[in-house]
Amino acid sequence: MRKLKWIIILIFLTCITTNTEARIYLDIYGKTFKKITIGVPSFKSETIDRLRADMSELLNKDLDMSGFFIVAPGSLLDRELSDEGIEKQEIKFGNWRSIGIELLCKGKFQQKDGEIMLEAYLYDTIDGSLMLAKRYRAKSEEWRKIVHRLADDIVLTVTGEKGIMSSRIVFVAGGRSQKEIYTADLDGHNTKRLTNFRSITVLPSVSPNGKYLAYTSYKEGKPNLFIMDLEKNREIHIERGEGMKFGTTWIGKATLGFSHTSGRYSSIYTFDIEKSDKRLILSKEGIYTSPSFSPDGTKMVFVSDIYGTPQIFMQDLPSGNIKRLTYYGNYNTSPCFSPKGDLIAFVSSIEGSFEICVMNADGSNQRVLTNGGINDSPQFSPCGRYIIYSSKRGGRYNIYIMLYNGEGKRMLKFVEGDEEQPKFIP
Amino acid sequence: MKYFIILITVIFIFCGCTPKVVKLEQPGATGKEGPAFEKGEKEGGVTEEELARSRRERERLMLEEMKKSLLKDIHFDFDSYTIQADELPRLKEMGSWLKNDKDIRITIEGHCDERGSIEYNLVLGQKRAETVKDHLVKLGVDKKRIKTISYGKELLLDPGHTEEAWAKNRRAHFKVD
Repeated sequence: MRKLKWIIILIFLTCITTNTEARIYLDIYGKTFKKITIGVPSFKSETIDRLRADMSELLNKDLDMSGFFIVAPGSLLDRELSDEGIEKQEIKFGNWRSIGIELLCKGKFQQKDGEIMLEAYLYDTIDGSLMLAKRYRAKSEEWRKIVHRLADDIVLTVTGEKGIMSSRIVFVAGGRSQKEIYTADLDGHNTKRLTNFRSITVLPSVSPNGKYLAYTSYKEGKPNLFIMDLEKNREIHIERGEGMKFGTTWIGKATLGFSHTSGRYSSIYTFDIEKSDKRLILSKEGIYTSPSFSPDGTKMVFVSDIYGTPQIFMQDLPSGNIKRLTYYGNYNTSPCFSPKGDLIAFVSSIEGSFEICVMNADGSNQRVLTNGGINDSPQFSPCGRYIIYSSKRGGRYNIYIMLYNGEGKRMLKFVEGDEEQPKFIP
Repeated sequence: MKYFIILITVIFIFCGCTPKVVKLEQPGATGKEGPAFEKGEKEGGVTEEELARSRRERERLMLEEMKKSLLKDIHFDFDSYTIQADELPRLKEMGSWLKNDKDIRITIEGHCDERGSIEYNLVLGQKRAETVKDHLVKLGVDKKRIKTISYGKELLLDPGHTEEAWAKNRRAHFKVD
């Protein structure tokens, strides 16, 4: 009798787990995945509004950029399909299925007192089940934000993890001898210049709690490392020692990892901003630079030239043991841990070009994701599914984003001139 | 005789006399021969101030000459910060010049070509500048007189994408402070 009870509980449990798994439509961590075809007819509103087309167009763009969807072109939708209502009972799912659409996103919005309210539904056309129903509200001029939020929610529904369309990034733009730091929405809007030093300012990164910005600037003549409090808009820590200093990696909420090369030695430090606590992690003769820490803070990857060419090494921090990770080629730099700690993105010189590559955290399974040019500064998105990087082809640096497997590359454009060294703002 | 006058004029110019002074002497020089020249110099009434100015000018020209011949960029191989053998004589010359003229302070800038990652190049540029500094210090120059700075690949001399442009950009550049 007791045994039977357990079996029933067990069966019950497996049902639950398979159920939750079934909710995720795409396993994006598999080697390859099939993209889902999604249809987004123009949103409805009581007034004739340019926004009707603009919003659905932006949603299509976002979904396309996510890399998980094939977006049905507007030309595919005849009048009957586009005039159809948004409620489940009004929709003829068979019609949508017949043109190959698997998911259908419908919405209506209204504008009142300078506010916009969007009501959106996501249906599975196979059985007409409602997968997502949500209401969004924002100031009218910030309509792009709610579309991005909807896109992120659709990606969450389908893949089990939130999309990145609402993200902001920090980057460097400008010409020779004058480079400033900017922030912008991932879609290229809302660009803001953070610095105006009229000098060379490079390698910005924002702390995981979003409060601090680290960068290296030549504004005082030599390259000093600055940490700025973004809320108070003021520099709170400056490394002014001789030589080269920069840091783009963070541990915990507000601890910056940075490297310092001066004289014969290179050192890697961590600096806890809130406790003003600086610690030396490693100091050796030669080049030791570009640290990146695993999310749990137990491992550090870095670049060193101890064997003659720049290669990537990993140090186990509790034991201090160092292991070499890259053996292919004579130039492997810019390592960056994924947020889950399972992958490391890096730059490798392959047949004259510099490519973005990824490898497992133990150095195995190295694969090349880009093809040609000078690619640099790879960084994973906070969800770990995308890599943002800069790429120079011909004379110009531009910022690109791709899925972590190299699919779906696209250029992001923010301001005039060169744009490089992108990082997500957590 | 004509040649003699020309020769003297050339010597004067070479010594760094300002053209103004030479002009003053011209009427005397057109007379007959060399001694008139010396006379002219006295008659022209060269003041202490002018002498000092001409000395300064001479020093400036010399320094510029030195800079041109000595302070030319030191070039490096790709991804390397070791000094090439053919650059050594020039560094030696530079070292003895710096040892003679103790007032001069220099800054060595390390630069890289456009290839590779920005972070690694910033460090590589630092290493290039430091290697050259180390070498000069080994030759006996006081290390306090030499500053180093790296610009990585931020200040390309030649924005081209050829082997030649890259070679030009991989350099240690000297600046007299």
